[in-house]
Amino acid sequence: MNQKLKLIISGSPHLKHNVKTPRIMRDVIIGLLPAIGASIYFFGIWAVILIFNCTITAIVTEKVINKIRRQKNSIGDYSAVVTGILVALILPVSIKWYGATLGTIFAILVGKHLFGGLGSNIFNPALLGRAFLAAAYPKMLTTYTEPGQFDTITQATPLMLQKFSNQTTSLSKLFIGNTSGSLGETSAICLLIGGIYLLLRKSAGWRIPLSLLISLSLASTIGYLINPDLGRPIFHLLAGGLFLGAFFMATDPATTPVTKKGKFIFGATCGILIMIIRYFSNLPEGVMYSILFVNAAVPLINRYTRPKSFGKKEKQ
Amino acid sequence: MLKIAEHKDPQHSFKAEKFLSAEKLYLPLSQHTGKPSKICVEKKQTVRKNQLIAKSDGFISASLHAPVKGEILEIKKHFHPKFGKIKSIILKTELDNNQDNSLNHSFDLEKTAKEDILTAIAEAGVVGMGGAGFPAQVKLNPPKKIDTLIINGCECEPYLASDHRLMVENLEEIFKGIGVISKLVRPKEIIFAVEENKEEAIKKINYFINTKKTNLPKVKLKILKSRYPQGGEKQLIYSLTKRKISGKMLPLDLGCIVDNVATCFAIYEAAYLRQPLTRRIVTFCGDALVKPKNIWLNIGTTLGELIDKKIIEFKEKPKKIIFGGPMTGDTVVNLSTPILKTTSGVLFLEKLPKEEEESACIRCGRCINYCPMDLMPLEYVKMVKNKKYKNLENYQIKDCIECGCCSYICPAQIPVLDYIKLGKEKIK
Repeated sequence: MNQKLKLIISGSPHLKHNVKTPRIMRDVIIGLLPAIGASIYFFGIWAVILIFNCTITAIVTEKVINKIRRQKNSIGDYSAVVTGILVALILPVSIKWYGATLGTIFAILVGKHLFGGLGSNIFNPALLGRAFLAAAYPKMLTTYTEPGQFDTITQATPLMLQKFSNQTTSLSKLFIGNTSGSLGETSAICLLIGGIYLLLRKSAGWRIPLSLLISLSLASTIGYLINPDLGRPIFHLLAGGLFLGAFFMATDPATTPVTKKGKFIFGATCGILIMIIRYFSNLPEGVMYSILFVNAAVPLINRYTRPKSFGKKEKQ
Repeated sequence: MLKIAEHKDPQHSFKAEKFLSAEKLYLPLSQHTGKPSKICVEKKQTVRKNQLIAKSDGFISASLHAPVKGEILEIKKHFHPKFGKIKSIILKTELDNNQDNSLNHSFDLEKTAKEDILTAIAEAGVVGMGGAGFPAQVKLNPPKKIDTLIINGCECEPYLASDHRLMVENLEEIFKGIGVISKLVRPKEIIFAVEENKEEAIKKINYFINTKKTNLPKVKLKILKSRYPQGGEKQLIYSLTKRKISGKMLPLDLGCIVDNVATCFAIYEAAYLRQPLTRRIVTFCGDALVKPKNIWLNIGTTLGELIDKKIIEFKEKPKKIIFGGPMTGDTVVNLSTPILKTTSGVLFLEKLPKEEEESACIRCGRCINYCPMDLMPLEYVKMVKNKKYKNLENYQIKDCIECGCCSYICPAQIPVLDYIKLGKEKIK
């Protein structure tokens, strides 16, 4: 044996699948691009500013925390960028710049790192950031502008119109996104395209979005049959932040159950809760609170949906 | 189950060559599950071809034979692909002028008693050649009634092609081996399971079944989708019969026996020819080789000799040498590591998946989705990291078959299986 070989010792397996955390996060960003495009189309330069504000804030906050926690730089996994973009997309475009900045800092600092960082957080960071703003600056978060109007003429969102003045918004408007609402939630078609992209790339599981959409359809159908004034099921599917929530928030791996059964339960519970909030509470929209609420129940869901080991009949 | 890039071309269609003239053979005493064999030769002793050199020691153990005539050079610890260094017999081979032809007569199995066949198989040192190396005679004498005999021709690991070549080139012998097993366990049904990527073998098997040679057993061919780890015993039984063999059960508890095609071949040789198991087909492949090959080798042949004699040639210096398939195989660092009864292939890899540092678990649940034993691999990682070994057993860590799907699929690059093995070690 005249050749010297440098050989590696390692445990099996010696092959690796190509889906990696940064790729999953990158796919989320790509999946959000249609919605970002729509938001820029509808809200113009203000959309660009808001998204920039949140993304840069997210990156800076992450970097600072990396320094403080003496961690490796974790910008490379793109999770901070995703959180930043998501925060921007669920805020009204008219929000004051410092509101958006504060919300993003809260999302990264409290939502993610205080719980232990990526993978250890209990609540969806972006939604937690928004919930913080909703509590701290309620007015900022209920002032919506109609696309194209950049003075601060307040406009009610389709869900507000439905709930408080029993006015229906046309479905085509909801589908395209030409309504008032948070920056990235208005265009159902763009979110759907992004969501399907995520599913096809297997960067998001199908179990949660599917069960969420089905349970919400069922709940809203029942509601509609009882009282047609509550709005048609298809309206509830397209209005508000539902698609954004179903495809981009409820599929966040860290804050959703790990088991197959648990994922169905998570999605279905979210769907029902959204309709309960939309019907019975003083809030017109329930996506944020329902996802956060079920986030809190995830450890419990995981615990009770533990799969039985292959071939085991009885739970031990 | 997983769909993995197969990498089976072109070795899949390369006829098996022969290299049975290695100068030195290194024969470890443990090439099977169970107790190591007991040495029954001495240093400097000359042994005949096929002479017993270490005998089975206990109920679950296997015998070992000299593949060729030679002199026992030494008995000392030597490299083993799995166990580091273990006691081995080192044989210096001699050219055999008067070829031993005593084996060429064939035994009439119709007239042989069941016990005698079992003894013949035990004496030939036949073990399960799919990888686990379970002594064959133990499996073929089940204490319970067997209704389904499954012949495993799945070879679900990427790269490997030795079982495929055997099916293509020695199918009649395999069928005769199946006949022997069927005589011993009397199953109601015999299923021959092959994955769909083995077209050549499937064609051959179909031809054999359809021409209905009278002396061959009645076999049902079942073509399965190519998935990993379908060749695993429990997964294969489930794919074919929907019976679930739990971690603590054996296939025979639910009336099944699974035997690999290479084992069937060895059983044929043992029962019909009284030929002990001393050689096998091994696939040599990987991107570091000039050309992949399937080669009949004597057990105990070292990689070093194959390289020196230019039987296998490097295009590039390999960075990893793996005994077995890429999913469950063991890396070796010493080129004098020998081929064992259970070595179906050796991989020489130059291009490796980029080594990335393990990052935080994002709790995506992919490891759970793909676990063929329905376990929660991510929980084991957490428990082992937090040194909470007590919980491991509550989560059935012992049921893990170590297929490696969890490590393969993990997007955070966590070597999940390494943690599981560590955990298993801790609760031993």
